[in-house]
Amino acid sequence: MIYDLIIIGGGPAAISAAIFAARKQLKTLLLTREFGGQLMEGYKIENYLGYWAISGVELVQKFVEHLKRFDKKASQGDFDLEIKEGETVLSIRLKQNEGDERESKNFDAQSNKENYQGKAIIIATGKSERKLEIPGAKEFEGKGISYCATCDAPIFRDKIVAVIGAGDAGQDTVWQLTKYASKIYLLNRYDELRGDDKELRERLKKDKKVEILNEVEIIEISGEKFVNGLVYRSFRTKEERKINVNGIFVEIGSTPASMFLEGLLRCNDKGEIIINHDSCVTSVPGIFAAGDVTDALGKQIIIAAGMGAKAALGAYNYLKNQ
Amino acid sequence: MVKVYSTPTCPYCHTLKAFLKEKGVEFQDIDVSQDEKALNEMIDKSGQMGVPVSDIDGQIVIGFDREKICQLLKIEC
Repeated sequence: MIYDLIIIGGGPAAISAAIFAARKQLKTLLLTREFGGQLMEGYKIENYLGYWAISGVELVQKFVEHLKRFDKKASQGDFDLEIKEGETVLSIRLKQNEGDERESKNFDAQSNKENYQGKAIIIATGKSERKLEIPGAKEFEGKGISYCATCDAPIFRDKIVAVIGAGDAGQDTVWQLTKYASKIYLLNRYDELRGDDKELRERLKKDKKVEILNEVEIIEISGEKFVNGLVYRSFRTKEERKINVNGIFVEIGSTPASMFLEGLLRCNDKGEIIINHDSCVTSVPGIFAAGDVTDALGKQIIIAAGMGAKAALGAYNYLKNQ
Repeated sequence: MVKVYSTPTCPYCHTLKAFLKEKGVEFQDIDVSQDEKALNEMIDKSGQMGVPVSDIDGQIVIGFDREKICQLLKIEC
């Protein structure tokens, strides 16, 4: 079976692309490991239309409910969309057609389970969190080191914790932890706190539980069975200091999930897929990309959703002209 | 017997529990943010300070590992 369009991803860009493709009556397949992506960990979202404040989990639930109305079975054949969860796409290849030159080209999408064929592809795999790469970071992941504050903050009740990374996400993590932890160190690379939320910054500065360490970097994590401390170095004095902590929450940004493409598409030096911002087409005709995995400015839910729609229309126009 | 150790805010715990419900699997939901004894039990069993953790008839699964959970429950994914 050959699909018109295969969409890879489960965040707002992929979901929106699938809805638009289904409504254009394209024979569409959506492949995702799970729904939500990074949006799942959003503690409180205040900049998506229609909701004054909503958690990431709730917004994902609403997106998925909406999406599933377009499922082939659920719509009793009104739409031709298949949704497959638990699928990780490992590679995409251009399928060479021998012989008839007029025959349009197809793409192979190989997942952990099966091989699928599509006439067009939309990549909406988003970003994944950047991991710490210092001694102890790998060893103690899940053993005191957490990359998900909304998951694990409540586990560190009355414990001493550190937050690595003092951008918006790091500051938000500190704020979540103030409800549980007895003491929170915030390790900041810069000489003062940056970010969009001035009110939150001021609140953190005044909070007696919070100690902000400016112009420092973490260099080592120690422990036995679980984390018991970390060493940081001051950029200014070069001095190293060890502090005792039970938990470490990491918020040092994210990297685009474009590794599986293995050089198939042109990317910028950050690893973001370079697209045409009108049609969302990539350097390979027939492959489109949308959302945080691309070089678009603004990694936001609403932007990703808009781009998903654009990519679906781009793919629709491409298929029409084939 | 299936136990799920979770916190109320944890997104992957929600997904995991919704998945088990969808598959008709009965489970005991344990909120470790409210129950220190259960939290210590979870840490002892799993060696993890992170949720979700599932205990499927004594076998421990860390995170929402869909395939492993299906395998242990002998259900289709």
